[in-house]
Amino acid sequence: MLTNQELDQFIICKKCDTLHRKIPLHQGGKALCSKCDTLIYWRDDNMMEKTLALVVTTLISLFIAFNFTIISININGLEQSLSLISLFSVLLEHQQYVVGIMFLFLIVLFPLMMLSSMFFVLIFIKIKKYGYAVKRLLILLSHIKNWNMLDIFFISLLVAMVKLFDYARIELGISFMAFVLIVGLELIITKNISFDELWRKYEDTYGDSYDKE
Amino acid sequence: MIKSSKFVRCHTCEAVNYEHHGKGVFCRRCHSRIHQPRYISYHRTWAFLITAIILYIPANLYPILITKKFGVQTESTILGGIIHLWEVGSYPIALIILVASVFVPLLKFIFITYLLISTKYNVNSSRVDKHKLFYITEAIGPWSMIDVFVVIILSVLIHFSGVQVFPGAGATSFALMVFFTMLSALSFDTKLIKKES
Repeated sequence: MLTNQELDQFIICKKCDTLHRKIPLHQGGKALCSKCDTLIYWRDDNMMEKTLALVVTTLISLFIAFNFTIISININGLEQSLSLISLFSVLLEHQQYVVGIMFLFLIVLFPLMMLSSMFFVLIFIKIKKYGYAVKRLLILLSHIKNWNMLDIFFISLLVAMVKLFDYARIELGISFMAFVLIVGLELIITKNISFDELWRKYEDTYGDSYDKE
Repeated sequence: MIKSSKFVRCHTCEAVNYEHHGKGVFCRRCHSRIHQPRYISYHRTWAFLITAIILYIPANLYPILITKKFGVQTESTILGGIIHLWEVGSYPIALIILVASVFVPLLKFIFITYLLISTKYNVNSSRVDKHKLFYITEAIGPWSMIDVFVVIILSVLIHFSGVQVFPGAGATSFALMVFFTMLSALSFDTKLIKKES
């Protein structure tokens, strides 16, 4: 049987499940899977700082996106605007509760939870405190990161706009710009963040005290 | 040389763990349960998949979008909407909706069914390919929500006293269908693929 330290030398490709032994990389180096060429790990010494900056920016944009008008349309003088509040009030009026609840979770709550738990994890590891909370948040993150659908919502927004193009004059609101920013930033965050690395940092930082449950 | 089939990857924290046959294992790093006994994951995946397939029927039969124009009500289903878009001439949008709300769910049903059957009856095909198939299934899952979101956005924007658009029963069952296919993909245990090797 190998010890935990020896097991940490291995990594399994997330796409094709091939086992690899890790080799040390230089700063900025990337390691690809030998079978399917997927990026499996990389070395970035500033990963935490970079991600923290991106997460804070995204959180601010998310706050803007949820509070202002996304787009407004004008059909022969009749105006209507789309914002989060008008969205839920309309869904409530049409009694679409299931769709409304799913929307609330997939577009509002999960992205908020995801970004704020990333924020707290990075901060807590930086100040080397609250090891148990970090562990819980990392587990939570791994569960909700599949359920974040902001990018899909943005594509749907574009599809809806193209559909309305012929009938209405469309004006982009502040939140639309915020959504553009969020979708771009989230792409960079998912490219930057390595959960394996975060778990390693967690083990290094909190040592043996981590498994007192 | 260390045999790769002795190890499993924790789905929560990505740590490499030893595989123990038969019983449930807890991850050495995050202490979450890596694998349930095999039959639980197998049956759970089937259950979610069948629920999703059943929900797919009303999702296609009931209208996803209802338009009320000065008291006259017209209903359109998913396929009807795509055909209408194609006839009007907006081909890119028609293609996006066609791929996202017809092909993606069907592909997911076929992929998960294939994975379940092939792992049960040890169909001879490459293990690596099955892992890739599962990875694709997980990745394309949420994209079928596009249609539901478009309907929601339209129903908010076109909300006047004379003309109104709102989601029908099809939207609810479609959203639930996507939810259950995602649960089914999540509950599928990649260890099932390993069994044969």
